[in-house]
Amino acid sequence: MSAILAQADYPALMSAPTLFHYLVVSAFMFGLGLVGFLTRRNLIIMFLCTELMFQAAGLALVAFSRFHLNHTGETFVIFVLTVAAAEAAMALALVVLLFRRKETLDAERWEEMRG
Amino acid sequence: MIQKIQSLWPEIVLFATACVVMVVGISPSVAVRRSCGVIAGLGLALAGLVAIDWPGPASSVVWPALAPYVKVLVAGVGVLLLLVLAGLPDREYEAAVAHGQRYDPIRANRAEFYAFFLFSIMGVMLVSGAEDLIWLFLALELTSLPTYIMVAISSSRNRSLEAGVKYFFLGALGAALFLYGFALLYGATGSTNLETIRQVIAQQRLGSEAVNGVALAGALLAVIGVGFKIAAVPMHFYTADVYQGAASPVTAFLAFVPKTAGFVALILLLTTIGWGYGPSGQSLPEPIRTVLWVIAAMTMTVGNVLAVVQSSVKRVLAYSSIAHSGYMLVGLVAGPGPAGAPFARNGIAAILFYLLCYGVMNLGAFAVMASLERRSRSGATEEADSIDDLRGLCTTRPMLGWIMVVSAVGLLGMPPLLGFFGKLPLFTSGIGAGEIPLVVVLGINSAIAAYYYLRLAALALLEDPDVTPVGGGLSENAPPGRKFAGFICAAAVIGLSALAWPLINLADGAAKYEPRLTPGSAVSAREAPIVPSADALTEPRAASGRP
Amino acid sequence: MSDVTTGILTALGGVGTLAASGGDAAAHAPASGGALPAASPLVLLIPLLPLLGCVLCGLCAAAGVRTKLPAWLTVACLGAAFVAALKMLGDATGGPGTHATIAHAFDWFRIEWGKGPGGVSRELVANFSFYVDTLTCLWMLFVTGLATLIGLYASEYMAGERGPGYCRFFAAFNLFVLSMSCLVMGDNLLLLYLGWEGVGLCSYLLIGYFYQKPSAVAAAKKAFIMNRIGDLGLALGIMLTFVKFGTVEYAELFERIRPFVELARHGRFDEIPFSVQLIPLLFTVGAFGKSAQLPLYVWLPDAMEGPTPVSALIHAATMVTAGVYLVARFIPFYVCSDLALPVVAWVGTLTALTAATIGMAQFDIKRIMAYSTVSQLGYMFAGLGVLTSTGAAFHVFTHAFFKALLFLSCGAVMHGFGGQLDLRKLSGVRKMPGWGIVGVCMLVGCLNLSGFPLLTSGFFSKDMILAQAFTTPGFAAIGWILLLTAGLTAYYTFRVYFRVFEGPSQFEPGDEAHAHADPGDQAHAHAPAGHAHGGHEHGHGQGHGDGHFHPHAPGWAINTVLAVLAVCSTAAIGAYFIDRDHHGWVGRMVDSSTAAWEAPGAGHSGAHAEPPAETGHGAAPGTFLGMDPHAVMYYVSAVVALVGIGAAWWLHLAGRTAAATSRADGLLAAAGPVARGAQGKWFVDEVYDALVVTPLWVLAHVFHLLDKLLIDGLVNLAGWVPRGAGRTASTGQNGLLHSYALGMAGGLAIVLVVALFMVKN
Repeated sequence: MSAILAQADYPALMSAPTLFHYLVVSAFMFGLGLVGFLTRRNLIIMFLCTELMFQAAGLALVAFSRFHLNHTGETFVIFVLTVAAAEAAMALALVVLLFRRKETLDAERWEEMRG
Repeated sequence: MIQKIQSLWPEIVLFATACVVMVVGISPSVAVRRSCGVIAGLGLALAGLVAIDWPGPASSVVWPALAPYVKVLVAGVGVLLLLVLAGLPDREYEAAVAHGQRYDPIRANRAEFYAFFLFSIMGVMLVSGAEDLIWLFLALELTSLPTYIMVAISSSRNRSLEAGVKYFFLGALGAALFLYGFALLYGATGSTNLETIRQVIAQQRLGSEAVNGVALAGALLAVIGVGFKIAAVPMHFYTADVYQGAASPVTAFLAFVPKTAGFVALILLLTTIGWGYGPSGQSLPEPIRTVLWVIAAMTMTVGNVLAVVQSSVKRVLAYSSIAHSGYMLVGLVAGPGPAGAPFARNGIAAILFYLLCYGVMNLGAFAVMASLERRSRSGATEEADSIDDLRGLCTTRPMLGWIMVVSAVGLLGMPPLLGFFGKLPLFTSGIGAGEIPLVVVLGINSAIAAYYYLRLAALALLEDPDVTPVGGGLSENAPPGRKFAGFICAAAVIGLSALAWPLINLADGAAKYEPRLTPGSAVSAREAPIVPSADALTEPRAASGRP
Repeated sequence: MSDVTTGILTALGGVGTLAASGGDAAAHAPASGGALPAASPLVLLIPLLPLLGCVLCGLCAAAGVRTKLPAWLTVACLGAAFVAALKMLGDATGGPGTHATIAHAFDWFRIEWGKGPGGVSRELVANFSFYVDTLTCLWMLFVTGLATLIGLYASEYMAGERGPGYCRFFAAFNLFVLSMSCLVMGDNLLLLYLGWEGVGLCSYLLIGYFYQKPSAVAAAKKAFIMNRIGDLGLALGIMLTFVKFGTVEYAELFERIRPFVELARHGRFDEIPFSVQLIPLLFTVGAFGKSAQLPLYVWLPDAMEGPTPVSALIHAATMVTAGVYLVARFIPFYVCSDLALPVVAWVGTLTALTAATIGMAQFDIKRIMAYSTVSQLGYMFAGLGVLTSTGAAFHVFTHAFFKALLFLSCGAVMHGFGGQLDLRKLSGVRKMPGWGIVGVCMLVGCLNLSGFPLLTSGFFSKDMILAQAFTTPGFAAIGWILLLTAGLTAYYTFRVYFRVFEGPSQFEPGDEAHAHADPGDQAHAHAPAGHAHGGHEHGHGQGHGDGHFHPHAPGWAINTVLAVLAVCSTAAIGAYFIDRDHHGWVGRMVDSSTAAWEAPGAGHSGAHAEPPAETGHGAAPGTFLGMDPHAVMYYVSAVVALVGIGAAWWLHLAGRTAAATSRADGLLAAAGPVARGAQGKWFVDEVYDALVVTPLWVLAHVFHLLDKLLIDGLVNLAGWVPRGAGRTASTGQNGLLHSYALGMAGGLAIVLVVALFMVKN
């Protein structure tokens, strides 16, 4: 399958997805994650937004890997997924701790220290 | 492969120690549990010795001696950090157990705490030996992830949780940024191997003088993302809150370990895009140099002016930690100079030496803060943090007071002390690189820093102790290890300045810079990568690259 | 990677490697110190042992030791250093031919500051290396030897201070020897300067040892400031040397000065650049500060506020001769200037005369000794100025012993009589029980100082300088003044001796009598009470009602040290007669060092470093009233000394019945203003006050006013700016997670936009 894609003739712009398309989607995902992180106040949603940004990077990696015809990028993605899973575990544990203290998931409630 | 593993002996030792600590730390016997810290310290010392004795083959082609220096540095300062950290985890829980409560390993977190400590330090060691983007990413995350937990569990106060949540979420944002940057760097060069990336970008720059836009964007994102670890503007916002919220020993840890990892990672990253080719020492691509210049100037200035108006010692130290990152960024802007440049011109050597100086001096100040407690009106003890707590410390607690004075004056960079010898190479390398305006900014900032450092020193030394303290007054019932670590640090601030020259030579050796451009050798080992140009972005490589 | 390993280990090893690295010296020395061969690593022990002693005394202080342990540690360390110095001397003179060697301890400075022609890098190299030649050995021999003896003396003298003060005293004492060894043994000017400042610091610390006493603090401050003036000159000289010659290492310096010496030898001074001629003059300023010469001598008499062992070691025997050492070491530089040596000679001569006249009229015996030190240092400079560095070095050597002896004897008196130093209130001490040794030792010291013929080493060393002054053309006036000074010296020396040690036994205890009358004092028990009372009864009730005061005679430590020093002072005569071919043992030591750059002249006591005049060696040397100075000077100076002693005997001993009065009192009235001037130290301090201190005081107040009005405003402004900026910036730190994230994202956006903008352009 990949061999067929790689050996394909020069594709018409809209007919087949190219690297450019993948990168646009990836950048869009990253931006979405960033905006979500800035606007949402629920800690879990905020964490999901960072996950979105991680996966945007993952998508870019896979696309580049495909473009360069090596597997380094895909390997990278596997590791990114692993780290993301570890972060998720930590985030959820942290959220549980926080919820126990203040019975809320609102990030803005944690603003004791400032200046 | 075997060679690579040989160079990882310190990390392996640390890993094994962490495993042992995790098991030992949940033992039902108090005495066994208590040995956790000792085991961790021994493991750390052993790792440091191993790093001295079997440095293994050079992991970085450009920086052959970097990794052993960094490993020994973090192991050495790590032992001091451990002295300060000892007794922190489970303090209240152990007290409850001593009063008859049944010991429940689930509720205790001593084992995790020490293991996380070791993992984080292992992360720094791995960063220093990184030769691949994937490796670098994993090592940076390994450094950071444990620190998030350490901050959150460092005390039972709400502040620690708040610090933890801020640190974790903003840290994840930073990590996403540099991960995206890494992806773009990979995309621009077709490899995750740092040396290959360096060769490819060097070829491009030698060919056309213009740097590939994708690579540039990737490098910028990566630099700014890693900037979170060193608390560089604009990623510095978390610093004060997190440093204040975490217990003082953990704050000392945060100020040194992630920062070291960040600077080493920045050195490795910028090597790929900047200095890494040609013996003439070409500087960084102009956009990156400008961005770094501005970041360095802003970081120093923001850190210092914010520190001036603080009334919490930990916040002062937090903002000053930002400022110190700014100073070290001057070394990055200056770069290593031409191959074989003398020490005074080598900004990287200056950074490596300054990391040592900063680690020691800063730890001294934090050890003092970690040793003091204030009894509040309600009778609960809390960390001493107000700047007034230092009043007359030299009279009431001479040892702690003098440690604070020596550390503060050292951090300020007063001539006979270590901080001065640390700062001097930063100045000379900046001047050598022709960055005179930046050096002027550095000088002005050193003057601003005098405000608050001298304030700390003068409060401790000159003022009379507070006779009628608000609330309960100070007490000092921290484990003696903290005071001891503080004493060692203060002694080092004075004593190492006499040994400054050998240490500088050491840092200079670690920053030995061997840029080689071998057209074909590293690159032709694989197929010559085709770099996506603006046009090529729209087409799969096979279409244009292969007949 | 092994370099990293060894580097780390070296850094960790610290001081330990200092000694161990001696083995590397052979490898390092050729690279760092020119082509000189490496010295035995044993040499490194000489500075290392006092360092060890200093650290040990510090540990004693930390451990709260209240015994005499610090003193014994000091004596042990310094004694071992003395043995090492002896070994160094053996090595330096034993081998075939005597040439300088270098002992390398560790690299200190190596700063590359530019590229010379041909791409050779120019470096400022200054290592912790020690330049060992015979001059070094000579100096280190008496520095370590005297330090050991005086340390032993101080163990008893300072016994009343046991505790933290005792530790502090001996730590500073060791530090002084360490600094002195850096000064004397350093192989470069930077190390010399380090030692120079180090001895200044120790001198400051030890003068101010009794820091509760305002006069001691003032004296310490005065010494420090006066020395700063000199040090500025030395520092400028060192900088100029580096600028001119591109190195501060002796081995290279003495190579590079050679062409200029050749020019000077042929009298072509106009071809030597002015800046090269300026170097010795700047050095001279430094030497005059450290060695208390006109016009910077006023600190030395005040420095007597320090404990007497300190006065003996630092302010008489060793530190103050550092200036002499500097000039002697850099004689090749001095001959390059046609001005430097005459300046040195004349200033030395005038200082000798001035100090001697002041010394004649003082009543405080320690101060008299201090002025005599200034005066004798003047002799040494005069000797250097007339190019008899052998004579100067010999006088330094003999003076070190007999002046230390004199000071220690005075110290014993001071110690025993409750701090009494006024010669009008002490009399006939020698005849008191337990004071015999002190009396005899004092007599030996006085004979030496006054140059009593044949029996004393002081006679021979002074002779050498006098004879050379008359020999050198154009310096006969100096010779006459020095001869007069010799007579005055003999007079004031024996004035002290005859007043204090001879005549009827009377005394009046000093202010510290109460402090010393503590029952636990062991030395006190040595003085048989009855005899002491007898002495007191002779005092005709002068004891201020302190009827219970007993002078306590010195114990074994003080007596031993005094006896050893007395023997040494006398034995130093031997140095004159050994090796007559080389103008004595000292002459040989000096001739084989840089102090005698050129080969020694052939004649008896001739100018071994030839006068740099075009007349050369053969042309008409000066005469003493038409006779050969070298032949007749023995008799002349012997007569002068005896006349001085005789005058002192007639005026101060013969027929004296009370401590306070003597025949000289009548003379004093007759001499009128001259005597009052001498008593008032020629009012030099007052003149300095009026010329320097008062104007500075006024200026300081003017500046203070300006400061208040103008500078404070600027400073307040400068203080307000960061504060205001901080307040503004801290509004961004509002504690909200989202604000922080927004800040980060905003910063990122700005960076990306800027970068994009730059790429597009």
